Amino acid sequence: MAAHVVRKADLKKFINAVKKKNTFLGPVSRKGDVTLAVVGLDDELVLSYSNFKLPPKTLLFPKNELISTYDDNGMVEVLPSEGEVVIFGIRPCDVLSLLHLDKVFLDEEFVDPYYQERRRNAVVVALACTEPMKTCYCTSVGGSPAGEEGADVLAFDLQDALLFEGCSEKGRAFMKTYADYLQKPTKADLASRNKISSEAPKKITPINVTGLTDKLEEHFESSLWEESAQPCLGCGVCTFTCPTCHCFGLHDEQYGQRGIRMRVHESCMFPSYSLEASGHNPRNANWERMRHRIMHKFHSTVRNFGDIFCVGCGRCIANCPVNLDIRETVAEVLHE
Amino acid sequence: MVNKKPDTAAWEPKIVAFLCNWCSYAGADLAGVSRIQYPCNLQIIRIPCSGRINPLYIVKALERGADGVLVSGCHPGDCHYISGNLVARRKFALLKNFLIYLGFEPERVQYSWVSASEGGRFASLVERVVDDVKRIGPSNRLVKEEPVHQNG
Amino acid sequence: MDRIEQRIREAVKDLFHKDRVDLVIGFREGSLPLKSRPVFVRSEDMADDLVWNAFCRGNLAVYLPKLFPPQPQRDEDKKPYPKIGLVAKGCDARSIIGLIKEHQVHRDNVVIIGTPCLGMVDKEKVEAVMDGDAAAQCTEGENGIFHITGISGTKKSVPGEEIFADSCLECPCPLPEEADVQIEGESRKPAAKKYEQVETFEARSSEERWQYFVDEIATCIRCYACRQACPNCYCNVCFTDQTKPRWNGPGDDLSDLMLFHIGRIFHQAGRCVECDACVHACPMGIDLRLFTRKLGRDVEELFEYVPGRPEEQPPLCVFRMDDNQDFITEP
Repeated sequence: MAAHVVRKADLKKFINAVKKKNTFLGPVSRKGDVTLAVVGLDDELVLSYSNFKLPPKTLLFPKNELISTYDDNGMVEVLPSEGEVVIFGIRPCDVLSLLHLDKVFLDEEFVDPYYQERRRNAVVVALACTEPMKTCYCTSVGGSPAGEEGADVLAFDLQDALLFEGCSEKGRAFMKTYADYLQKPTKADLASRNKISSEAPKKITPINVTGLTDKLEEHFESSLWEESAQPCLGCGVCTFTCPTCHCFGLHDEQYGQRGIRMRVHESCMFPSYSLEASGHNPRNANWERMRHRIMHKFHSTVRNFGDIFCVGCGRCIANCPVNLDIRETVAEVLHE
Repeated sequence: MVNKKPDTAAWEPKIVAFLCNWCSYAGADLAGVSRIQYPCNLQIIRIPCSGRINPLYIVKALERGADGVLVSGCHPGDCHYISGNLVARRKFALLKNFLIYLGFEPERVQYSWVSASEGGRFASLVERVVDDVKRIGPSNRLVKEEPVHQNG
Repeated sequence: MDRIEQRIREAVKDLFHKDRVDLVIGFREGSLPLKSRPVFVRSEDMADDLVWNAFCRGNLAVYLPKLFPPQPQRDEDKKPYPKIGLVAKGCDARSIIGLIKEHQVHRDNVVIIGTPCLGMVDKEKVEAVMDGDAAAQCTEGENGIFHITGISGTKKSVPGEEIFADSCLECPCPLPEEADVQIEGESRKPAAKKYEQVETFEARSSEERWQYFVDEIATCIRCYACRQACPNCYCNVCFTDQTKPRWNGPGDDLSDLMLFHIGRIFHQAGRCVECDACVHACPMGIDLRLFTRKLGRDVEELFEYVPGRPEEQPPLCVFRMDDNQDFITEP
């Protein structure tokens, strides 16, 4: 389906129509920040943001996920049953992160049924970037501010209208469902759209990742790891704000004669994550855990899935309490 | 152990009581031996000394659904371990204020001193605490509910 | 600021030259606006990396406990503990004193480089001054005025007092009193301790206070940045990570979140120096200050204790016969 527009004046009507049939998540103001949340009756869609503080992975892979219950009769799997969810406003870098997570959770041989169910039910309406941040570098890791890879629908904010392009079967079907609310774009609309997709990448400061995977393997034993990880506090901010970090643990809780099993997010930056029952910890030192994280992002995933999992969103850089910068670490490795 | 609370006048609060072995627990025993009637809402946990109480015990009891928490030790100066209750007194003063500050009702967590010979005092204390907690109602701060799932 | 920076570099070079230190922890230039970051200087040549400006937020004392592991865990040849210098503001120095009192750091192995502090910039306040426009650049000019350029290009100049962090505005000790090496320079005037924020909060109803606490804590992502940034949180295994017993679950269940914060903040009673490293580290902007201040005030009022004075014992290790017991229920 070709590009269509919704004028800003008609946006609320369109969204209300979508809300009638699905759960609708979009960018709204919460506690002074723009967050991706269920758009309530009183909420206005906010479009003046660079990116959400937290990545959208928790929509498909929640921080606390009930996966089964057990009692005297045995264990019962609990699959998600939230129905169709339309997610609007995800940036292309975050959309790419979902494709990376698909490789982990929707492997041919082993399919994660919980992730699969949520993934199947989600319609991803990406919103192209007009103002990349100083910490962004998506173009260096296979992405783009106006990239459509992974999106069901790609939207552009044209100031007076939103332009939608169907990118997948699901996306085109979505647009067909709401065809009554969509209009044909004008020449000016299309020119605006093209301007965004050509201008935005120019605002990004790229980084070099050529040969990084091999260099990481080569310099596994380098002293640069211990040196560069000195300021690291060992918190989990980078992993929890990262769109592709997906380490998790299983946690059981008992309530009387019943129990539940949950999947919870974990962080490889915590020593307890790799601590073995014997007491041995293969990643005992903080710098070993930091090295592991960088390797996983730029090496192991390339070897296992063919892709650098980092999407260049810059959240780890912006949120690190001691301003550790993954771009600098990458440059140091290449320089070795 | 979430205390399912019926919304009726017949609701009885569940109060977790940490009693020190040498004084307060003995005082409770004396109340029993003397056949002094007092409300039976207490779930008593015997600890060696009030100084042994980790503040997290009190917070954990609230998280597990206790409607009230009572902590009792020897009178200052009479601690079996000399100074356990004196160190605890400072901790409790801070914890009492901190929990109220966060929004817990003042009556929710209470502290007292009861000696081994004060069976009557123990009974009066329990009556007072149960009355207080009945008045403020079931605990609804911090209680951890079992995660809801769709399949019933 | 530049003169102080120069003096710090010279003092550090001198310390290396006289072999008084093996390592100096200070700040160097950050990769983002409004940020300086920790640097580990291991030789005289590296000393020129050190900077001093209004973005040196964070408590450097956090690195010390790990550098002094208990003796049995050290190498078999029993290497002596390293000599560590620390570019310390008032809050860092108070933390070091606290760690010494708790036997986590050896006084003889620490060289406190007392640095006069005028205040540190708070990113949120800068954003508020710029009406939400993130800062692309922020430089200090004459007379404590800061010149800010937003991403959109707008420029504003404001006095430091408008953008310094609250903890700095209320700092009782901007010039470390226990310094081994004192850097010359101008520091803030110490503020009289004020607990207006705590008092205002106390005046609200119990329901309101609980709702505020819940709303703040609900955004927590359990990253533990607060805990890891705090010099006082040096436990090998934090209570929240223990499984025998399990105090609270992992993840983002509201009750688990609250138990973590209640426990962590209460564990700071009598120890917290109110440096706000936790506040600064929190990626979600949780108002932890409101809760740490309450304990600080109560400890001061009930036990006349303020952290940072080396001669005083930690308040929960001692007692007085006439300690306050207003909280006791008399049946």
